[in-house]
Amino acid sequence: MGQTERLDEEFAAKLKRYRLNRDEHKRICGLIGREPQGVEWALFSALWSEHCSYKSSRVHLKNLYNTSPRVLQAFGENAGVVDLGDGERVAFKIESHNHPSYIEPYQGAATGVGGILRDIFTMGARPIASANYLCFGRPEAERMEKLVDGVVRGIGGYGNAVGVPTVTGQTEFHESYDRNILVNAMAVGLFRPGEKVFLSKAKGPGNLVVYAGAKTGRDGVHGASMASESFGKDSAAKRPTVQIGDPFFEKLLIESCLEVMAEDLVVAIQDMGAAGLTSSSFEMASKGGVGFVMHLDRVPLRDSTLTPEDILLSESQERMLMVVEPSKLQRVQEVFARWGLEAVAIGEVIPDRKMKLYWHGQLLTEIDPDLLTEHAPKYERPFEVWSPRSRVPQAQVAVPIEASIAERELERVLTSPQGCSREFIYRQYDAHVGAATVADCEDSVGVLRLKDSGRGLGVVLGCRPQVMRQDARDGGFDAIAYPALELAAKGFEPLAVTDCLNFGNPERVEVMSSFVAALDGMNELCRILETPIISGNVSFYNETEGRNITSTPSTGLVGLRPDVLKVPKSAFSSSGREVFLLRLPQLMSGGAYRELRGQEPACAGQLAARPFAGFLRALTQVARDEKVLATRVVGKFGLAYALAKMVSRSRVGVRIGRGGFEAARHTLAAGALFHEVFYEVILETSASPSEFRSLVMRQLAAHSPVDLFEMVHLGKTEGSALLIEGLLNVEAHKLEAWSQAGWTNAFENLKLPQSYGEA
Amino acid sequence: MARVGVLRFPGTNCDRDVFEAIGHAGAEAIWLWHADLFDAKAFDALVLPGGFSYGDYLRSGALAARAVAMKSVREAADRGTPILGICNGFQILCESGLLPGALTRNAGLRFRDQWVELEKVGSQSPFGARLSSGARLRVPIAHADGRYMVNDETLKALQDGQQIWLRYTENPNGSRHAIAGVTNRKGNVAGLMPHPERAFHAWMGGEDGRKILDLWD
Repeated sequence: MGQTERLDEEFAAKLKRYRLNRDEHKRICGLIGREPQGVEWALFSALWSEHCSYKSSRVHLKNLYNTSPRVLQAFGENAGVVDLGDGERVAFKIESHNHPSYIEPYQGAATGVGGILRDIFTMGARPIASANYLCFGRPEAERMEKLVDGVVRGIGGYGNAVGVPTVTGQTEFHESYDRNILVNAMAVGLFRPGEKVFLSKAKGPGNLVVYAGAKTGRDGVHGASMASESFGKDSAAKRPTVQIGDPFFEKLLIESCLEVMAEDLVVAIQDMGAAGLTSSSFEMASKGGVGFVMHLDRVPLRDSTLTPEDILLSESQERMLMVVEPSKLQRVQEVFARWGLEAVAIGEVIPDRKMKLYWHGQLLTEIDPDLLTEHAPKYERPFEVWSPRSRVPQAQVAVPIEASIAERELERVLTSPQGCSREFIYRQYDAHVGAATVADCEDSVGVLRLKDSGRGLGVVLGCRPQVMRQDARDGGFDAIAYPALELAAKGFEPLAVTDCLNFGNPERVEVMSSFVAALDGMNELCRILETPIISGNVSFYNETEGRNITSTPSTGLVGLRPDVLKVPKSAFSSSGREVFLLRLPQLMSGGAYRELRGQEPACAGQLAARPFAGFLRALTQVARDEKVLATRVVGKFGLAYALAKMVSRSRVGVRIGRGGFEAARHTLAAGALFHEVFYEVILETSASPSEFRSLVMRQLAAHSPVDLFEMVHLGKTEGSALLIEGLLNVEAHKLEAWSQAGWTNAFENLKLPQSYGEA
Repeated sequence: MARVGVLRFPGTNCDRDVFEAIGHAGAEAIWLWHADLFDAKAFDALVLPGGFSYGDYLRSGALAARAVAMKSVREAADRGTPILGICNGFQILCESGLLPGALTRNAGLRFRDQWVELEKVGSQSPFGARLSSGARLRVPIAHADGRYMVNDETLKALQDGQQIWLRYTENPNGSRHAIAGVTNRKGNVAGLMPHPERAFHAWMGGEDGRKILDLWD
């Protein structure tokens, strides 16, 4: 081998180690006017990673609808902030922790929760709620039981200890996640009247750069670039890149940070998340148009053998970077010390846009922070323009089944991984700490009471992967529409959205095409609803050995309601009440039931934003009427499944006559029990049928063209069975038993017995 | 107005919830800090709220039981001041020897959050004194280490001494004799795993918690 070849091989190895390609290297040389040296390789590697730079998605994200009169802060800060009026504001965001959770499920999920909480309290908001969006593979897939167990324990282990209630969640199962699970964590924080919003923009030359919280260790070094790669066969070898969390430290950090912010001792603050100290310091300086001098040898270390590069890239948890006026440092240190934490000045703000990094007095690099944060490459990955998928004539959408097997099929649905109970999961989460929880994971929307105004804040997650598999544009639309409808069905006006765009390899045309289509579907509806997307993240490269996940743009929505006293339940409340179906039939889909039967997706019709917006507004008002006792959006597995859920939990039965069923489905065929209509809501009311009709008509007339809607009187609550004349007659306890059995059939070692004896 | 001290340790996370509940119950809540001694005579009652003091390291409640402020708590206990430990507070009182027994990992080995039904048994505790024996309450639990354990001898002593305060009607964690709460022999120190402060308003799903934190109306 000649010398040139050897040098080229060394160079190629270096590029591989720092996960940069030749074009990116050329770009770096062009920007700094020379070859990168020493730690500069690590800096570019981290900040130009997909995870930090959004290089494949930026060109599309800039088109997102992200403003409304309520938005105080959108993308660009740690989380979005929305004004609720009356001095109350909320900060919220959802973020992925997919790659680490697949490698090491407990720590991966735990630090996912820890990280998203820091994004919230770093702005000065006290975290008041958590939510989790999880996608797992088939129960029988390799390691799946351990992954489910580890992720759930990790979320609980961290969230419960830190004292933030987990109020809602969503869990999906599909083979496309067999080798690449999704763990998306959302957090919501509250600013009470008078509390200030803190930003990450560094200001004031001469101010100190202060490191606070846990010491830096070797964990998570190169984590950001790891999360920007597809998995191969060696994913187990990546375990050292996973961070280790300590919720006790986080709790102390929450209290001490909120205390220094309440005393107004901080100029700017940002948590050290992906790419640790590097991203926090470079982003803070870049946003403020200033520079930092930082002495890396002053960073508190857990392991004295760490190199400057390790210190820059470590993703050790529970750390914060602050800019503090020199005169306030002592008080800051006192507050942190009272909570048992360290706060150390490691540098200062300088007027020139330069990051000067020192190691024991020696200058390692002097570089313009904007080159790393603002001048990262932007890729226009190729994609194809979307056209509707999976369309068939309407008559072919539903799966034809005989009435005689309807009951058996309902059992099949309820005992399937997609249809069974999630109780095992949410029982392990503290849903009530904070003493503000009105509705928890047992309901379709998590509800919190806002202390100062007494109003209700609704939190809900969205994105149905099955709809994404059917058609990515519809799936994107539905990732907003479905959760918005769930909020409206409880009387909450949707305010804003956070999203976590989980996709496969963006260098593949089909992945990028679905990304663009889904974003387009989401964006269109958000614009019409005036519900902006204000925060989130993108997770690409959810690909293992060439197989991509279902494109999964998960969402988190928050909504507002004037009170919390009469929020409709998600299960029937009592016998003798009228049961209605309100519908805006736009798209009819074979849905989850077709998939369960192993058939290709099929749907007919199309989704339209404007009529949906009218339906949503009318429904919000209807659901606020105290005569509405229970509501449920009809989703996966159609009408039979939604009714089964409303019956099984409360043991209050329902009787639906042939007339009611036919009016709802325009057929008496048994297959119509399970197909899905976008969009429909079941309502239980204490009003008389005529009273209820006029209540609904009044709202519909006020908000939209009435002729697009259908209102069907389904029947009445009575007895303790789900009874659909001629098709189904199943006792509530049996429905519940099926639902529970579905879980234990899937995961025989994951059990939570109802009770233990006297012992 | 009654003065009620609320103890905070690093990692306590139900502190603000309890503080507010005491206010709603008509008393004045006052913060007490783990690292400071306090005047045991200055309080009409003390509450140790739930959470994960010291991250539950070593054992739940074990480190908090050795905190400086516990010296004053002990003094107050000796004086007969009503003292209530909730969840982690109950664990701390057991670890400090102010209450009998130990709280171990739940049967099933998992954290558990749910509403449970409780039955009042013993009548010694000043907390919930107005409830008649056999009264039923609905209150949420949320714990991983709530399995109350005692040996046969102590169980007998607890029964004889009317120290069993609350029992679960359906045992969620494998506690001995389905015990959810106990008192000391004098009755002034009481501990329970469920969270009364989470059942204080109708919108929470129930108000039975008020019947336990009822000393002051």
